[in-house]
Amino acid sequence: MAKKQTDVRISLQTLKVLEIFLENPTQQFAGAEVHQRSGIASGTLYPILLRLEAAGWFVSQWESIDPSVAGRPRRRLYRLTASGLRRASEVFGGFSRGVLA
Amino acid sequence: MSRQSPRFTKWDAISQWLIRRAARRVPECLATRLEEEWLADAESRASGASRLRLAVGCWWAIIVIVNDRPRFPAPQTAVAGGGWSAVTDRGFGYYSLRSGTLFLILGLHAVLFGGLFTPLSHTHGSVAPSISSGHVLRSVMGETR
Repeated sequence: MAKKQTDVRISLQTLKVLEIFLENPTQQFAGAEVHQRSGIASGTLYPILLRLEAAGWFVSQWESIDPSVAGRPRRRLYRLTASGLRRASEVFGGFSRGVLA
Repeated sequence: MSRQSPRFTKWDAISQWLIRRAARRVPECLATRLEEEWLADAESRASGASRLRLAVGCWWAIIVIVNDRPRFPAPQTAVAGGGWSAVTDRGFGYYSLRSGTLFLILGLHAVLFGGLFTPLSHTHGSVAPSISSGHVLRSVMGETR
């Protein structure tokens, strides 16, 4: 099993994504919702989501719906992990102290 | 946007085709997930133009994701295996995507300026008096005598 790399390059777009998840850390978001809230283009957004997931900051799972009943395909939902919440808080805390964590 | 939907247009067909083609550029374990995820996200977009923008963005996303693989392991949901090495071990890991884009832009500028200046220099060359014809040399020699 590959070793997880927990350090993620924190770009402005990554901060925007993290900010959305930090507003409600228990909530799950699909990529389309993150796009709507942040305005980040899909070409930038999905690599960020995958990087954060690979680094263990996010976990993702399929939406638990029946597509035939819901009338739409199931979406992939992302959620902050406990370590992701801690690391993201450290990053934003670093800004308030004037130093990037 | 499902094909059965009355709002399904040819642009939606193009968007779906682009997303499917983009997703196939990664190993199958991740390709299936990305294809389903992106098609579902495309479905939630309001307009066909927006869905097309997402599909085009997916191509850029795939380039970045494939380029990221040497630095980041595959997500837990995508089983890491020999598939990634087949895609990512391309022998140019030293160059980042950003550097590649920069070199591409510089190269295009060089071609563009080369294309512009080559006809100009040819025109200039035909208008200028030819030294080999000897007119200039003869006149200079005549003045000195």
